[in-house]
Amino acid sequence: MHRLLHAILLGLVGAGIVHIVVLLMVPAYSQRDAWSALSEVSNFHTITRLDPPGAAPLLGSIDPLFNAVGCRFDLSEGVVRLNGGGKVPYWSLSVYDRAGQNVFSVNDNSTPNPNLDFVVATPVQMIELRNALPPEFDGSVFIEADIDEGIVVVRAFSPDDTWEDTIATYLAGLACTLHQ
Amino acid sequence: MLKSLLLTVTTLAIALGGGAGSVWLALDRDFEFGTIAIGNWKAFSTRGTAGADPYSKARFSREADLALGSAEGLTFIARDDNTGEMLRLHCAYRIEGPLPPARFWTLHARDSAGKVIVPAGTRAPALHSYALLREGDNTVTTTVSRHAAPGNWLAVRGDGAFSLVLTFYDTAMASGARITEIDLPHVTRLGCDA
Repeated sequence: MHRLLHAILLGLVGAGIVHIVVLLMVPAYSQRDAWSALSEVSNFHTITRLDPPGAAPLLGSIDPLFNAVGCRFDLSEGVVRLNGGGKVPYWSLSVYDRAGQNVFSVNDNSTPNPNLDFVVATPVQMIELRNALPPEFDGSVFIEADIDEGIVVVRAFSPDDTWEDTIATYLAGLACTLHQ
Repeated sequence: MLKSLLLTVTTLAIALGGGAGSVWLALDRDFEFGTIAIGNWKAFSTRGTAGADPYSKARFSREADLALGSAEGLTFIARDDNTGEMLRLHCAYRIEGPLPPARFWTLHARDSAGKVIVPAGTRAPALHSYALLREGDNTVTTTVSRHAAPGNWLAVRGDGAFSLVLTFYDTAMASGARITEIDLPHVTRLGCDA
């Protein structure tokens, strides 16, 4: 009897440890996160519509009045530039790490010019860029992110159906390019 | 010998079963640390950021979702009306009251599985603050119902429980510390279909 009690107590302590270990391992081993969903449909440095018309959205919480595109990148290969032109009522941009955590966000009010032009770089790459700024990055806004792999997402507001084509064209016209 | 083997198996069964089972139970619930509750509206301001608690992170990783950043907007979700009753699609609701400052906001409904409820016909599944009828004092009253309603009408369809999603874009509240001091509209039940 005494030994059974001992075994149960030991089991409960073990359950606590297993609970913590499993909980901390779930994010690393999840196959159902945004990264996995996006990697099923497109490769790195490809602009992908996250709410394809007529199909189920890739992400759960996209506002039905918004169109969104995403692009996976890997900063260990080089810096990533996201740029495009045109005018839409509202756009916002977020950079996420591999686990889908938001590391940086910005909207169209906080940039100096209406054109979307961002360069995502790690702190080390930023130092190199400051030393010798490539001429094509002249008007870019730099986002320093201490991550390797990540996702950059642009969301644009589509007030009603008549805007749908304009917004879709704008988002499809964005370029997500790798600069080594 | 057999006895100690049995005890070892018992210990392991409790440890592995209890540990994994309790994680599964914890992730199945909607509870989250850092939830901001204002009236019936809830916002999960740290969800999807590095500041989220381990339960939130684990749950988030199983959802294929990317949360709005603080510069993008802030989302509030209501699952109950102001008497604490669950929101049901066969009832009509009025949403009325103060709205915090934001460039614009949108309102849409999601069913119990979390899918956007798209109404029949050509009506948009969401309303936004640029195209609403306003009262003389600039307030907004919205009706959520399966049946057409005068004024601002968020059309829904189907049966069962649903949730209302109110998102404020380009708002200072998303980054502000005094978020609990803001007021949000009340959700009042008007009546139900028999």
